[in-house]
Amino acid sequence: MTSTFTSPGEGAAASAGAAAPPAVTAVEVSKVYGSGDAAVHALRGVSVAFARGAFTAIMGPSGSGKSTLMHCLAGLDTVSGGRVMLGDTRLTGLKDRQLTLLRRDRIGFIFQAFNLLPTLTAEQNIRLPLELAGRKADQAWFDRVVDVVGLRDRLGHRPNQLSGGQQQRVACARALVARPEVIFADEPTGNLDSRAGAEVLGFLRASVREMGQTIVMVTHDPVAASYADRVVFLRDGEIVSELFQPTPDTVLDRLARITGGAGEPSAGNEQNLAG
Amino acid sequence: MTLAGLRARKLRLLLTGLAIMLGVGFIAGTFVLTDTMQAGVDEKFARSADKVDLAVLPEKDGGQLPAALLDRVRALSGVTDAQGTVRGDAVLIGRDGRAVGDMPTVGISVPTGRLLRYAIERGRPPAGPTEAVLDTETADRERFTVGQTITVLDHRRRPHRFTLVGLADFGIDREASLRGAVGFDAATAMRVTGKRVYQEIDIAGTADRAAVAAVAGPGAEVLDSEQLGERLAALAGADMKLIRAGLLLFGLVSMLVSALVIYNTFAILITQRMREMALLRCVGATRRQLFGGVLAESAVVGLVGSLLGLAVGFGLGAAAVALLGRTDLDIPADGLTLAPRTVAVGLLTGVLVTMASAVLPARAATRVAPVAALRTDLEPGTERFRIGLPRLAVGVLCGVPGLVLLWYGAAVMDKGESAMFTVAGGGALTFVAVTALMPALVRPLGRVAGALPARLAGVPGRLAVENARRSPRRTATTTIALTIGVGLMTMFTVLGASVAATVDERLAEEFPVDFQLVPQFGGTDEQRIPHEAAARLRALPQIAAVTEMRQQKVRVTGAAGRAEDGRVGALTTASLGTVVKPEFTSGALADLRPGTVAVTTTTARSQGLRIGSTVRMQTARGPLTLKVIGTTIDGPVPPYLVTEADFDRYFGVRDATALYVNARDGAAGEGARAAVEAALKPYPTVRVTSVAELKKQYTDTVDTMVVIFAALLGLAILIALFGIANTLTLSVVERTRESALLRALGVTRRQLRRMLSVEALVMALIGAVTGVAIGVASGWAVVTAMTEDIVVSLPYPRIALFVALAAVAGTLAAVLPARRAAKTSVVEALAHD
Repeated sequence: MTSTFTSPGEGAAASAGAAAPPAVTAVEVSKVYGSGDAAVHALRGVSVAFARGAFTAIMGPSGSGKSTLMHCLAGLDTVSGGRVMLGDTRLTGLKDRQLTLLRRDRIGFIFQAFNLLPTLTAEQNIRLPLELAGRKADQAWFDRVVDVVGLRDRLGHRPNQLSGGQQQRVACARALVARPEVIFADEPTGNLDSRAGAEVLGFLRASVREMGQTIVMVTHDPVAASYADRVVFLRDGEIVSELFQPTPDTVLDRLARITGGAGEPSAGNEQNLAG
Repeated sequence: MTLAGLRARKLRLLLTGLAIMLGVGFIAGTFVLTDTMQAGVDEKFARSADKVDLAVLPEKDGGQLPAALLDRVRALSGVTDAQGTVRGDAVLIGRDGRAVGDMPTVGISVPTGRLLRYAIERGRPPAGPTEAVLDTETADRERFTVGQTITVLDHRRRPHRFTLVGLADFGIDREASLRGAVGFDAATAMRVTGKRVYQEIDIAGTADRAAVAAVAGPGAEVLDSEQLGERLAALAGADMKLIRAGLLLFGLVSMLVSALVIYNTFAILITQRMREMALLRCVGATRRQLFGGVLAESAVVGLVGSLLGLAVGFGLGAAAVALLGRTDLDIPADGLTLAPRTVAVGLLTGVLVTMASAVLPARAATRVAPVAALRTDLEPGTERFRIGLPRLAVGVLCGVPGLVLLWYGAAVMDKGESAMFTVAGGGALTFVAVTALMPALVRPLGRVAGALPARLAGVPGRLAVENARRSPRRTATTTIALTIGVGLMTMFTVLGASVAATVDERLAEEFPVDFQLVPQFGGTDEQRIPHEAAARLRALPQIAAVTEMRQQKVRVTGAAGRAEDGRVGALTTASLGTVVKPEFTSGALADLRPGTVAVTTTTARSQGLRIGSTVRMQTARGPLTLKVIGTTIDGPVPPYLVTEADFDRYFGVRDATALYVNARDGAAGEGARAAVEAALKPYPTVRVTSVAELKKQYTDTVDTMVVIFAALLGLAILIALFGIANTLTLSVVERTRESALLRALGVTRRQLRRMLSVEALVMALIGAVTGVAIGVASGWAVVTAMTEDIVVSLPYPRIALFVALAAVAGTLAAVLPARRAAKTSVVEALAHD
């Protein structure tokens, strides 16, 4: 009952890293909450790889385990079985402190809400991960990121003086400015109206295209997923399908098939074979 | 959120309950302790009085019964035994050949047979002219054991030797326990003390009370056993009331601090539960219901806390009783007294204080608009703080007059009581003003206090300092609680240090001597140092100068026309102006000639004297009129300083009240001291103190005082620290999301814990520094208002220690909240909205 996805260099993805090793790899990852009869299997042996310089979306109905997968991939949560690799580093088995430093130095985050520290200005928020690591921000890079997200005139403001869209843009800038190996975005547009959401997603896609950033995004919104290069579908803790060069329609269609068509457990495998 | 709320609630109940518990515990403990002590004393007196069937006492306190009365009482029918109590000074000589203690020991007659009211703890009661007993404590301290020979001076200072036949507990006798006591049989006691009268006559037998009263006459009263017990206990009870009042004052401070902590907790919780409140309003809860709900909650918290407090108080009382029992006061340890009054006072205070503290937060709860339920909640504590008009008004209306009163009382008004009251009022007003303005002070103070930690602890440090400053109102209330304790402690320290420094300086400037010689004081006879002692010292080669101070009490009439008791004194002429230099605030020492007098500033004020005024004195050798030529500052100088010639002529007292000895250059130190002590061998009651020892004595006294106050105020400070822990815990709950975000972004557990520590540190520093500022200011003002020419001394090391201790304690207060913050799972905290 293991679904296996190897890194799809063959896809039409505009990734330059066909030959490069994947940024993040999960091998046979399982996650169980509780024990005995009360055990909940959130992930059942997921193996997946995320290519460098690609924008990947993880989709699935509520309870499919997509957030759990992201937390495990990002070193926020521990796995019950299998292993997670960030580049050459094996996350599984690392101590909390090592994981924390790894997150600080090599991973960026964008959450749905409560992304920013209320006591800090936008600029301080953006620089926070770098300062925590004791690194100096490359000023040219910082300026470029700030200009890309269009926050130049908002740098001195505190989060409560910014709109929801602006706050998420600050979060994007924060994730980008540290140039992490991978950015995990958890429903980054979940709290935004469609225009602000489109803006944020535009930045994320641009950062992948223009800056070579690697992004893994969890979402339940087919429109959001359509900004990605590749969409991975989860159901009941297993990867059941994937899609390259998605459009909102193809995503919606696939989603309908995996959720509605409960009688097609092999849909994912078919697709995999077909792909 | 609900889950966090519930958890917070349980914790709040615990922490708020703790604050109340400690406050009530202190108050209840005070009652338990004093009640138990009182019960012990009552019982002891009752038991002691039980041995007596009737007692004859002089009507007036300190009166006497003629010796002949005893025989007349003994002759009455039904009297099986009657014995008189003799009491006077009987100076015990220690192993070093000098008198024991600062005050002469008391010589007491020890009754025999049934009427023996003191417990003989070892050996037997004294009988005959060569036997004596000592009180156990003095014997232990001076290392005398039964069978040894002791030397006691009689009333003419002649030594007598006695065999120590026993050790007794004179515990029911206040004077004996204070000064130490030597017991004799009645005849020997009379011989030693020189008293030919009785202070009390105890009767055993079935004598008729009226018959005894008839014999005793109008100057005496007759009490039965029960009345005697009550009379004795009432005397001791006055002390107990004083102890109780003093302790309760500190209890009050603790309760005030508790009230602040409770107020803050409820205020924070109401803010956190805004949505819940709004939801309740949406579904139809009235304002009154919300208000009642919050108050009811506070009542429950108060009740639980108070009940725990009673238990703690009982424990505290028991511990204090055990501790005191181990030292000197022997209190019967059996049966602690928990009076219904203690329970009632404890519960009422606890519940009422809690409810009163919750009134304002409860009112705030009622102001929540129902629509607030629908709003997405803002990050807490990010709103900009603007000081409101009421706070500003209170701050200005109390602060300005407060500071003016402080300054006016200290710098302008005449020194003395009214100036001190003015200063106290000013201090209280200033404190209220600071409390009102504190929220506005938190940000700047936080920046200052946080400057160093922010630099040292890096980004987490900076974040922590920001967190401490983000809700000024909350931080202000939390820190003010600490300010109270630290402020009072600082004030007492400044007071004590200043008094000690002033004494030091007076001695150094006016009496720059090497040794000070004073008689034992506090005896029933006025004690002096014989003139011959001064003569012997002058003959020593190691001694450069001996200055005699002689004083005599006299009726003085000043410019106001009122006759008052005053002390006239003179100093050895040869030393005046050379060895000892009284400091004049007006006039000059050179003008002091026969027929003139210099008065201290205090005397000048009370008698309305200034240069040129005349004072009249009634002396044994006729009236004396003197012209005032100057005023001196208060200190060792007598209130009325006259020339030696006038003193000799009109008072004729040759023996000194104090000697000041200067060693010859090079002979100072141990050589001179040994010589002085050898010369004083015939005068064992004269106490030799070097100036260094004298200074140390003052310092020790001040230290003891500060330690006692610190211990008593320690509780208030402890409660304030609970307040810091409480605020932090609630903030941690509130900032669960934020903490999770930080952890995701790469803040390690340790860094997160350190953040909380730094936040607590900054809060503690804000509170402590404010406290020190207020304490120093009011300490300065009180000291300055107290008397003229006082030296204000700021004990920097000690004040720095207070701040450092507060900082450390604050950091410790963060331990639990920090653990809690660090333990929270990142994923869980992030997962739910």
